[in-house]
Amino acid sequence: MKRKAVYPFTAIVGQEAMKLALILNVIDPSLGGVLIKGEKGTAKSTAVRALAELLPALTAVHGCRFRCDPAVPEHFCDDCAALAAAGQPLPEEKMKMRVVELPVSATEDRVVGTLDIEHAIKHGEKKFEPGLLAEANRNILYVDEINLLDDHVVDVLLDAAAMGVNTVEREGVSYSHPARFVLVGTMNPEEGDIRPQLLDRFGLSVTVTGEHEPSQRVEVIKRRLAYEEDPDAFCRRWEKEQTQLAERIMAARQLLPRTETDDELLLKAAEVAVALQVDGHRADITLIKTALTVAAFEGRTQATKEDVKRAAALVLPHRLRRLPFEEKTVDWDKVKEILDA
Amino acid sequence: MKKFEGYPFAAVVGQEKVKKALLLVLVNSRCGSLLIGGRRGTAKSVTARGAEEVAQGRRFFTLPLSITEDMLLGSLDLERTLQKGVRAFAPGLLSRADGNILYVDDINLLRREVLAAVQTVHAAGVNTVEREGLSHREEISFTLIGTMDPAEGTFPGTVLDRFGLYVETEDMTDVKQRAEVIRRALSFAGDPGAFRKKFAKETAELQRQLERAQQLLPRVEVPEAMLELTAQMCARALCAGHRAELYLLEAGKAAAALAGRTFVLPADLDEAALFVLPHRMGRSPQAQQQLQEENDDSKEEEEKPENRSETQKENEEESAPQLPSQNKNREADGSKDKEDNENEEEKEKEEDPHSQESPAPADETAAPDKNFPPLQLLVAAGRSRQERRGSGKRSLTRTSLKQGRYVRAELPGGEADDIALDATIRAAAPWQRWREPQGCALTVWQSDLRQKVREQRIGNTFLFAVDASGSMGAWERMRAVKGAVLQLLREAYQKRDRVGLLAFRRDRAEVLLPFTHSIELAQKALVRLPTGGKTPLAEGLTAALTMIAQGNKAQKEQEPVLILVTDGRANARSGATEPVAAALKAAERIRRAKIKAAVIDTERDFIKLGIAQKVAAAMGASYHPLRKLSQEGVLRIVENLEGEL
Repeated sequence: MKRKAVYPFTAIVGQEAMKLALILNVIDPSLGGVLIKGEKGTAKSTAVRALAELLPALTAVHGCRFRCDPAVPEHFCDDCAALAAAGQPLPEEKMKMRVVELPVSATEDRVVGTLDIEHAIKHGEKKFEPGLLAEANRNILYVDEINLLDDHVVDVLLDAAAMGVNTVEREGVSYSHPARFVLVGTMNPEEGDIRPQLLDRFGLSVTVTGEHEPSQRVEVIKRRLAYEEDPDAFCRRWEKEQTQLAERIMAARQLLPRTETDDELLLKAAEVAVALQVDGHRADITLIKTALTVAAFEGRTQATKEDVKRAAALVLPHRLRRLPFEEKTVDWDKVKEILDA
Repeated sequence: MKKFEGYPFAAVVGQEKVKKALLLVLVNSRCGSLLIGGRRGTAKSVTARGAEEVAQGRRFFTLPLSITEDMLLGSLDLERTLQKGVRAFAPGLLSRADGNILYVDDINLLRREVLAAVQTVHAAGVNTVEREGLSHREEISFTLIGTMDPAEGTFPGTVLDRFGLYVETEDMTDVKQRAEVIRRALSFAGDPGAFRKKFAKETAELQRQLERAQQLLPRVEVPEAMLELTAQMCARALCAGHRAELYLLEAGKAAAALAGRTFVLPADLDEAALFVLPHRMGRSPQAQQQLQEENDDSKEEEEKPENRSETQKENEEESAPQLPSQNKNREADGSKDKEDNENEEEKEKEEDPHSQESPAPADETAAPDKNFPPLQLLVAAGRSRQERRGSGKRSLTRTSLKQGRYVRAELPGGEADDIALDATIRAAAPWQRWREPQGCALTVWQSDLRQKVREQRIGNTFLFAVDASGSMGAWERMRAVKGAVLQLLREAYQKRDRVGLLAFRRDRAEVLLPFTHSIELAQKALVRLPTGGKTPLAEGLTAALTMIAQGNKAQKEQEPVLILVTDGRANARSGATEPVAAALKAAERIRRAKIKAAVIDTERDFIKLGIAQKVAAAMGASYHPLRKLSQEGVLRIVENLEGEL
């Protein structure tokens, strides 16, 4: 079956912050994902689905249900760990990183996994049937309208996100497996809040608004019409940009381990965190990690003040310490003042 | 078994108190369980999980929030039952954690029933299972460690009391220290193995210290004088019951052992007290009574600002359980927020008797009083079991829709439409030898069918009906009202309640916000609410009744609670009936509809008319003068008993 064409990521008009945030997470999946806030019709879902085309290939243990990374034994699932402990070779295979979608209506058993009923009835044995969290390991977990997710499903996401492990103790099964995923959520703030704890698990956040510039709006419509008329032809037209971006992402991934920052930037990040009264340490840590990723994306091996500034716009807004429904915005002058001092 | 490969305990920067508390419970499991509180991202989990490495071979068993009861307590062993044809017991998580550590992240989000079961087994040291035709009893002991972010809601005092130790992570404000946190986090992420090696020596030293302490512990003696000191310390902290003494003593012994001694010094008890006492201070009956008396006294007094704030402060200190962080929050907000100081000045101006007496000009919008003390919303005597037990969860509604968390299985009442397959299979398993095989390992009969019991964590539905007329508009009063309602909304947020907002002024009632989960919207609507005009109290009540009736139709499972905020001075006439009489009539209709309700009376004028109180009586609602509310910090709403007048 021929796969339906997807609107190319590079053909999305404007929305630079959102695009950057998504790209950074592909370069470094440990950044903690993105929360995209915005009204309906601001290309939120289009962007996330389009991202799939740009995702790099992964090296995984062949046949492993969780796509364990042969190079990272710390995150092995039980089966891979057992094989490794027994000194057995772990065959490798290449596969593409994917976007796994978690629908708002998903039930808890589908998310965490459950007892394989068929197996139990046929063979009288218990077997774990992996859920979406298993599928999401080393992939992108995408939740559209994440603010509408059932509370208990949010709990489960928090549990998994906290340590990168999904622990299942339900319906007769006791099982745990790695669940490290890039969490991408979209929400329309008019339809309700998102719990602060879940908010905190997002590394980056962006607020998207519709384009206001008339010429840009016209461009949006033009491209959309062209795409709908002939998706394949449209995609072909953007192939060059797509390839270039994919290559740039790959290059950045290779550069990232060698990208460095100096002590002064670390101190400044800490100072910003203290000055803005953020909760905990995730803000400063993510600020530096994001700055490093920005540097790698720009083809550099040294993060600069400017990288930290760009990172700050994505890292800080959702991390201010605030009481429930207290309104606070980032004091950007202060951030600038500290960084430029 | 997999080796521990997380972030090393020894590499956690700062957080010395948390580390100490962890070491204490690891040395002596009789200290009771440990609860670690703290804001998000303050290394609660990292520190706690890191302790596994120094725990002398004891393992951490993670209790996930989604656990079902069979997996917690134990159930029928499907495989063995099928093979041998006799009922065999499959141990639950509690049994598996025997002799080890049971760890719960976000323990405040755990269903109260599960937590109660865990705490009961933990305290008794025995797990008794009577289910699925099994009768099983075993002795188990484990160390319970949980983390929580108090911003997501805390425990009622009785639950909190069952935790032996409580500790809070500290906010780090030292820039150099924070920079070190970043450095280490990056370094660990870059190469966990190498990072762990760097701290191997310190880890080994901690392991040795713990081992030595464990060996010393049985020999640690408690001199008579130390026993007395323990009792004194607990009495001074006004602790209820004798749990505090036992935990304090055991934690003191652990502290002595960690220090390499075999006798307890006052310093050990002081150290232990930091963890044992804060969360259980001032909960004794005497303390409560004292509090009551003070309240009664202050009622008689003239209302002066200084006076009021003093009583408030005392109450805050005495009416535990108030976790340290909550106090801190408030102090921090008060001192740091420049805006608040300005408000304070403004307030002083407004407390001027002249301005209080003169009604505010039409259509003013008061800013909420941010310093209004926190308010707890208690809905008493509900219909659901949880509420009667006072477990603190407001309304845990058993849902008949196929939504919510699967918690356990039961025999279906009629036709099973939401089948619990795991329980069904277990029910069928013991009978397989006697059944005709159908080509599968299992033959399931109709009689085996079990149905899922699901629970959805939903709070109540609250409808705030706020009087926004000119008589309420005495500026300071509206500020206090908004402050109080904001506190209630904050509570509602933590409990996942739905709220609606309705205001009445001039000649009509207006729905500002239909029932919604978005407390944020409610807050915005409230802040923007202008004040002015006459008081159409009857219209307000009628609109409230209509809104509740409609809301209830849509969401059958939730019982709406009406919170009416008014000074009772109904004066907007519509039709022939006199306004107050019309209001009382409308109030009676609410009583007949058996709507749970509370009236917050804001009347503060020198000549009190007391209409709000009459309206409350007619509604069958509990009655709370605003001033008393701010002192007690609790809005208690009782069941509306029709006919009880």
